[in-house]
Amino acid sequence: MPLYRLESVTKRYRERVALGIPALVIGEGGIHSLSGPNGSGKSTLLGILAFLSPPTSGALYYDGKRVEWKERSLVALRREATLLHQAPYLFEGSVLANMTFGLKVRGVEGEQRRRRIAESLEMVGLGGFEHRRARALSGGETQRIALARALALSPRVLLLDEPLANVDRESAEVIRAVIAGLPARGTTVIMTTHDPDVPGRLNGEAIRLEEGRLSAAPDVGTAAGQAPGVPHRFELRLLQGPGECGS
Amino acid sequence: MGFLLESLKASIHLIVTWDPAFSHAVWTSLYVSAWSIVFASLLGIPAGLAVGLTEFSLKRPVITMLNSLMAVPTVLIGLLVYGFVSRQGPFGGLGLLFTPAAIIVGDALLAAPIVANLALSSVRGSNTAILPTAMTLGGSRFQSVLKLLSEIRFGMMAAVISGFGRVVSEVGVAMMLGGNIFGYTRTMTTAIALETSKGEFAFGIALGLILMAVALAVNIVFQFLQRR
Amino acid sequence: MSTTTSTENSGLLRVLLPPFEKKFGCKVDVIAVGTGKALKLGEAGDVDVVFVHARSLEDKFVSAGFGVNRRDVMYNDFVLIGPPEDPARVRGAGSAAEALSKIAAAGSIFVSRGDESGTHQKEKELWKNGGVAPKGKWYLEAGQGMGEVINMATQVRGYTLADRGTCIAYGKKTDLVILRQGDGNLRNPYGVIAVNPARHPHVKYDMAMKFIGFVTGEEGRGIIADFRIDGKPLFFVYGMKET
Repeated sequence: MPLYRLESVTKRYRERVALGIPALVIGEGGIHSLSGPNGSGKSTLLGILAFLSPPTSGALYYDGKRVEWKERSLVALRREATLLHQAPYLFEGSVLANMTFGLKVRGVEGEQRRRRIAESLEMVGLGGFEHRRARALSGGETQRIALARALALSPRVLLLDEPLANVDRESAEVIRAVIAGLPARGTTVIMTTHDPDVPGRLNGEAIRLEEGRLSAAPDVGTAAGQAPGVPHRFELRLLQGPGECGS
Repeated sequence: MGFLLESLKASIHLIVTWDPAFSHAVWTSLYVSAWSIVFASLLGIPAGLAVGLTEFSLKRPVITMLNSLMAVPTVLIGLLVYGFVSRQGPFGGLGLLFTPAAIIVGDALLAAPIVANLALSSVRGSNTAILPTAMTLGGSRFQSVLKLLSEIRFGMMAAVISGFGRVVSEVGVAMMLGGNIFGYTRTMTTAIALETSKGEFAFGIALGLILMAVALAVNIVFQFLQRR
Repeated sequence: MSTTTSTENSGLLRVLLPPFEKKFGCKVDVIAVGTGKALKLGEAGDVDVVFVHARSLEDKFVSAGFGVNRRDVMYNDFVLIGPPEDPARVRGAGSAAEALSKIAAAGSIFVSRGDESGTHQKEKELWKNGGVAPKGKWYLEAGQGMGEVINMATQVRGYTLADRGTCIAYGKKTDLVILRQGDGNLRNPYGVIAVNPARHPHVKYDMAMKFIGFVTGEEGRGIIADFRIDGKPLFFVYGMKET
């Protein structure tokens, strides 16, 4: 059973159509790449997959069940899929305060909470950063802390919007390594990038969006030669299987 | 000049001796203003949040109306509440008129639009990423809004202080609904009005100086709080 | 001229001043404030003549050298008003002072002016005569004008001491009734005083003296005695037969 299934999903803001996807299926496990130029609707799609904003029309199925966009059921879903925004917002206060929020609302307290926070910080190479003021960090550190904040929650799905944009080289390496290790921990990763080379570098094909619509991926045989912007029924192929090591 | 110096001397004497009549007026002002701000915030903060965070068709006119409510004269509010709590009014049986409770009601209505407006501004000026971030981290809508409030707490505190400043220095509502009863509903402002009408200018000015000092002190305390 | 709010509110000045102004070709600017303030204005030389009804304060004013030529002008009286059901049984009292003592004993609500006005002075005098120092939750010192105090007493169902003029003026606005009146010591005498020119050379002493002469003379006394509210006389002049 696929993790996500979209059927005739559109998203409209006032008059502008941001997204128009007749069909899309995303399986559980591995790293999925979502590429396309700026404004192609990648962030919008991520917002839907993160259960943050409902589509204007169409249906979203998660775990085989149709998503009812009612607050009551959404909270539980949002606790399974966490989104890392492009320029992540860190809360006022310490790194610890930032990382506590998600754990607190899930009822994780005391020693367990402290351990998970410490481990996540270690994972991104910022161990011991608990008491640093979140707003006083560099760009790369901010990105890593935001990633750690999400990882501490052990989400089933991690949605990343341009995780490597505007990040110094050292941080980019760390982030890339962390992401590569996530499938082994059972987390499904869906990440966007506007850099067309990324899918190539990660040895796979990608979903490609252009102006809110799925377009042909360069490597998919049946789609070769077709004009971009023509909707296809897609089964998203993995960049990297659930058990493989990162490249 | 001698007149002003005399008033200054009189006010220092009042403070130093902690004259009971004067201290009671100070206490009444603070007590009444504090409670009215509590109720004004209970009304105003949710109102400001609701208007700021939801999209609805009449949003613009509602914001304009909220803005104009800040300019309602104190005597008008006093009149309105008086109509409700006097014997001839629907709540006359409660015996609220000429009690501190009546002043609290009036002042709460006076300050609520101020708190609401400033809360609204705070929300509208806040980072649009706050709510989605809290929500994607697993917060329910309620938990996320609380987190938002925490992130904009300086703006919220400013809203509350502004409201407090407005009510602690007003006299229309306090006089009409409280009745300036000595040791009961006599606030600093109504006491000043009385002493002035008695020709006791020195006492009146002394109270005025204390009033300004109180307003200043409250402001300093809040500034200190928000720095933490 | 400085005077009290109750004097102004009675409407007397509106009939008393124009004939004076016409006769002497002048204009009288009236400043109506609390008794205390009216006297303070005289002390400061901000007015030329003071017209109030607080004998003890007036005497102090003159002996301190702020005023000269104090004259009795007229008197009206105070009445004790209260709820028709009269919880403190004031109706059976032998005097105004006793009436107040009964109110204190019963702990019934009494609203006081609390503002050192003429009415307040009289009230204090009556408490003293009755040997009572009013204190307690039942004694409300309102610190406001006569009208507001009558209003408050009406709202809280209490007693108060009021000057007859305001009482008549508020007749329709209150359901309180007169429970005690006519006592000798409920009289409220009015005095007129010229501000001392030796203290404040700029004051119009001449005009002040002319005013004093007018109100204590034949014409003034006639106007005062003929003044009516709702057909009832309000002020009484000395030496004239009370009708």
